[in-house]
Amino acid sequence: MAEPRESYEAKDFGWMVAMSIVLLVLVGISYWREFDTEWGKYQDEFPTVLSHFGRGDDVKAFRPGIRQIWIPKIGVTDRCITCHLGYEWSSVLPASIAEPLTPHSMNPWLAKHEFAKFGCTPCHGGDGWATTVVGGHEGGKGWEDPMLSNKLAAENGLTRGEMMQMRCNFCHRHDVATPGMDEINIAKALFKKKKCIMCHVVEGNGGVTGPELTYEGDKNPELVDFAHVTGPKTFFNWNVQHLKAAETVTPGSQMPDFNMPPDQARAMTLLLLSWRRLSYPPEYIPDPTVAAAAMAAIATPSASPSPTPAAAAH
Amino acid sequence: MREQLRRLWRQIFWAWTPNSDREASEAIVKNLWLHWFPAKIARASMDWNYSFWLGTASASLLLILTVTGVMLMFFYVPSTERAYGSIKDLEYAVSFGRILRNQHRWSAEGMVAVVFIHMARVFFTGAYRGSRSINWLVGIALLLGTLLLSFTGYLLPWDQLAFWAITVGTSIAKEAPVVGASVQYILLGGHEIGQQTLLRFYVLHVFFLPIFVWILFGYHMWRVRKDGGLAALEPMRIARMMRPKETPRTKSYSFFGITPGTSVAVMSSTGLEEEDQVFSSPNLTRRLTLVFLAVFNVTLAAALMFNAPLEGPANPSVTPNPAKAPWYFVWLQELVASTTIRIGPISVSGGFIGGILVPGFLLLLITFWPWFDRSPLKAEGVWFPPERRRQNYTFIGAMVVIVALIFVGVYLRGPYWRIYWPGQARPEMPRLY
Repeated sequence: MAEPRESYEAKDFGWMVAMSIVLLVLVGISYWREFDTEWGKYQDEFPTVLSHFGRGDDVKAFRPGIRQIWIPKIGVTDRCITCHLGYEWSSVLPASIAEPLTPHSMNPWLAKHEFAKFGCTPCHGGDGWATTVVGGHEGGKGWEDPMLSNKLAAENGLTRGEMMQMRCNFCHRHDVATPGMDEINIAKALFKKKKCIMCHVVEGNGGVTGPELTYEGDKNPELVDFAHVTGPKTFFNWNVQHLKAAETVTPGSQMPDFNMPPDQARAMTLLLLSWRRLSYPPEYIPDPTVAAAAMAAIATPSASPSPTPAAAAH
Repeated sequence: MREQLRRLWRQIFWAWTPNSDREASEAIVKNLWLHWFPAKIARASMDWNYSFWLGTASASLLLILTVTGVMLMFFYVPSTERAYGSIKDLEYAVSFGRILRNQHRWSAEGMVAVVFIHMARVFFTGAYRGSRSINWLVGIALLLGTLLLSFTGYLLPWDQLAFWAITVGTSIAKEAPVVGASVQYILLGGHEIGQQTLLRFYVLHVFFLPIFVWILFGYHMWRVRKDGGLAALEPMRIARMMRPKETPRTKSYSFFGITPGTSVAVMSSTGLEEEDQVFSSPNLTRRLTLVFLAVFNVTLAAALMFNAPLEGPANPSVTPNPAKAPWYFVWLQELVASTTIRIGPISVSGGFIGGILVPGFLLLLITFWPWFDRSPLKAEGVWFPPERRRQNYTFIGAMVVIVALIFVGVYLRGPYWRIYWPGQARPEMPRLY
């Protein structure tokens, strides 16, 4: 009778040792991945920056780890501040510090839009859950709401501040005009002047010649025809071109050719794309009379081309 | 001193050491967890090249999936409002959450593949005959259980990929005659995917299907033993029966003392001899540990290298172009698409042919195959025996077609479900801005 152990022990044991070593290495890599994070480097750097500007006490209070602004009622989980650590330090840190530690600029409206009440993504876009640079700014594959960066705005012929006004209008939809929202203000005035409502239904009112526009910003970009559109294949660009020359973009369209100059067409598009199916709680929806009073206080609304406060955001 | 240290070491790490192989094997029989192993196992079933240990690999994946799945359950919230966020939390905020989810995902997709390859192995070796045919049926049920587990899990992240893959999958189910609409209604908990669907899929995924698969797996293992071990032993048993045996000398006791001669004796062995077998402990237990370790390492390495897909949150009003079923069902989607006939404005859906008729026929065929197989007994438990050549070629043919359809569906189909060859430019899909 053959000795049973001889046949398998040596070979199997060798393989088991090999597999155990592989397991050890893989577990090691898992730990390394867990602790070697993108945000860890910035959090290592931040206390140095703080102490450099004489905030030694705050350095002592600094605890590393993932940070987030969590506002369940508006669905905000914004971990942006895990890296953008300087965001509320504008009184201490100079604006010249490199991202992501740069403090948020003290915009005039920031007093009414506190970080704790609004978070980051409602104004900036992007994926607030993410704790990586690409994940947070661009979102993963199929993420429909990327961060409104300078680059993205430039691609659409706008500044970042102008582009962000689209997001302001998520809540300020019913303002006639709002201080700081010049682009949207222009568009709202145009919307009235060109009598769009004669043909389009918006929030239950309007003619039925053209399609309803109440939730124009939610439209699937794939459902419009890009055959006659030049330039980038975006819903933004489609709207711009369509507003300039409707019949060229959509043959047979009954929409009059408004011959809108590009800047007006872009402003109009921002307004149209801001009309989305959103559900903010009532306390987030501003009273239109407040904006009206503020506008009245400013002598010449939307006339002077002074830089909008949004443009100065960073 | 050294002896004391050794004893201390033993006391801490291993309370008891067997003094002989017999003691070791008895330990298996006495052990609650190990008692379902036989005390001894045939050398032929230890062979790497016969079974490739695919069943053990499937069971290892099931164990990995159960453990990682239970851990994921501590974080996942099965509600349409929070499911997607809880996956994002796992990805970005939970310690080791991303690795955990990746490992669960790749183990799940690996299990579908390994269980299928395990079935192919059983088919190629004709190991489904006689009493083993029942275990073949159990195996098919386990394959279906695995597919359903994977499919129900696919919806849980509640992203665009999940939402639309389940839309495609349940739409195929609707094409079944008579019961189709009811099956879809029961699966979805309504007429469209929503909170009810998510909850149903969740309960199926974390409770009913795992219990079904685990119980059936236990039965599957028990049957392996009761059916006489792996079919690899059958050729050996035949050889043993043919081997002439020496007449055993016996003694008979009579009133007059011991009477020499022979009495009635079994002249040929039907079982396995001592030299054909080894003790299960440590040979089998060590091998199982080795296979488990290897499978665990592969899934962990995959988890570290590739991220499980997660797209934007589910949006019922925006359909991704193209929307694809999970890869193991994409061959059905491919069949549905290619059997859909369009003549002018008239369109005849291929849902019935591709979604019900073809897979239903294949399932019935594979279920009753053991009773169609009329090859001689010696073709059992051998890889590619000449007697079963035609059967094996048929199976390979069907496999090649299915794999080719999966390849086309996964890699070649692009926007508008058109074929795009590798290197061929795909149309740029419009973005918002």
